[in-house]
This record gives sequence, C-alpha cells and structure tokens, in this order.
Amino acid sequence: MLVLRRRAGESVLIGDEIEVELLAVTQQGAKIGIRAPKETIVLRKELKITQEQNAQAASGPSLSVLEQAIQKPRP
Amino acid sequence: MRSIETKYFGTLLFGEESVFDFPQGLPAFEEEKGFVLIEPAEGAPLVFLQSMLRPGLCFAAFPVLGVDPGYQLGIAPEDLEELGLDVRRQPAHGSEVRVLALLSLDGGFRATANLMAPLVLDVKTRRGLQAIRRDSRYSHQHPITAPAGERTSEKAC
Repeated sequence: MLVLRRRAGESVLIGDEIEVELLAVTQQGAKIGIRAPKETIVLRKELKITQEQNAQAASGPSLSVLEQAIQKPRP
Repeated sequence: MRSIETKYFGTLLFGEESVFDFPQGLPAFEEEKGFVLIEPAEGAPLVFLQSMLRPGLCFAAFPVLGVDPGYQLGIAPEDLEELGLDVRRQPAHGSEVRVLALLSLDGGFRATANLMAPLVLDVKTRRGLQAIRRDSRYSHQHPITAPAGERTSEKAC
C-alpha cells in the first residue's frame, strides 16, 4: 500500500480523473473529499462489505443445514 | 392477523407487532422495506426476518448478545437519529432496541454472524435499520460455533 503524508487542503491524484483531497483532520477522524467521474462508484468500504455479507446471508441454505451449522462445532 | 408466505415455515399468521419497517431497506436489498420477525421458539436465540415483499427472502439472525455476551453497542449518531433515538447515548438492549446479527454460512457449513453491521430494531416504533459500525471492533464474519481458541485467527475486517 502506498502511504503518503498529507495536510488539510492537500490532494492526491489517482490516474487522470480522480482527486482525493484531505479537507480536515479532527479528533473524530479525517474528512476527505473525492472528485471523480460520475460513473466511478465511490463507496465506504464497510458498506460494500455489508452488501456482500447481506447477499451471502440471503442466499440462505435450508433450515436444517443452518441449524446443523449453528449447533455442531465444525470438524 | 395477516398471513404471509415464508421461506422456511410455509404460510404464517402474524400480528402487526411482528412487523418492522426498514425505510431504507438493507444494503444490497434497498427495496426491502418491511420484514416480519419470526421467533420460532420462545427464548431460543435463533430468529428470522422474513421479507414482506419476497417469500424467498428470509434472513436468519441471533441477538448480538447471544453471539457475544460482552457485545458493546456502537451505533453511529446518524443511525440513532434515523431511528428517532437519543443520539447522546447508546440505547438499552431489550427495553429500547433489539439488536440482531445476521447469520451466514460461509464456505458451506461454518455459520458466522455479522457483528460489524447488526440490525437495530426500535421496539417502540417498530422501525429498523442496519447499523454499520464505524469502528473495527467486531467482525462481519464472527464464527459462532468454532471453539474459543480458534477465534482470533478468524477475525477479519
């Protein structure tokens, strides 16, 4: 992973069309601004993880398989 | 009482007290705005959230405290506000909210619970949302059957 040190107001460019600007740094966290083409999907990573995990949870197996997995320690 | 086609239990009768509104749906299921909470066995941890839209969609869930008795709530202020709860403190388990972790089988037979993004159900308004934690304290794939010693290696995020 590329690690850069940036101060508030400074930016990083990714390719020709994406700019990530560090807007402010506070005790609660860093506020960043992202400028990217409309077709680029920008998502908080945890939201993407939640979407994928929900999809997996929804592709639920039969009830008996589920109950077995819960009750039995895995081999 | 109304009736609903369910994924696991055939046709079920349910009362309004079992219906929870999810105004924003769930991530990846944004169109699902209503679920019926099914509790097959009194006092048993395993519960189900049956979609009111699609009979084939039903999530299995455990209360977070059933997965990890020491679970600390970490609901973001925006999510508390969305539910109309006091944003200055975490709500009380049971009396104010029910907090459920969705279960998955990953890789076949290993059951995991999503402690990173539990469903928070406001018991008074019967409104709910999926509250994604802002910290990385809990895994989205917390194993619920593996022996305690194996857990550390399972932590992901």
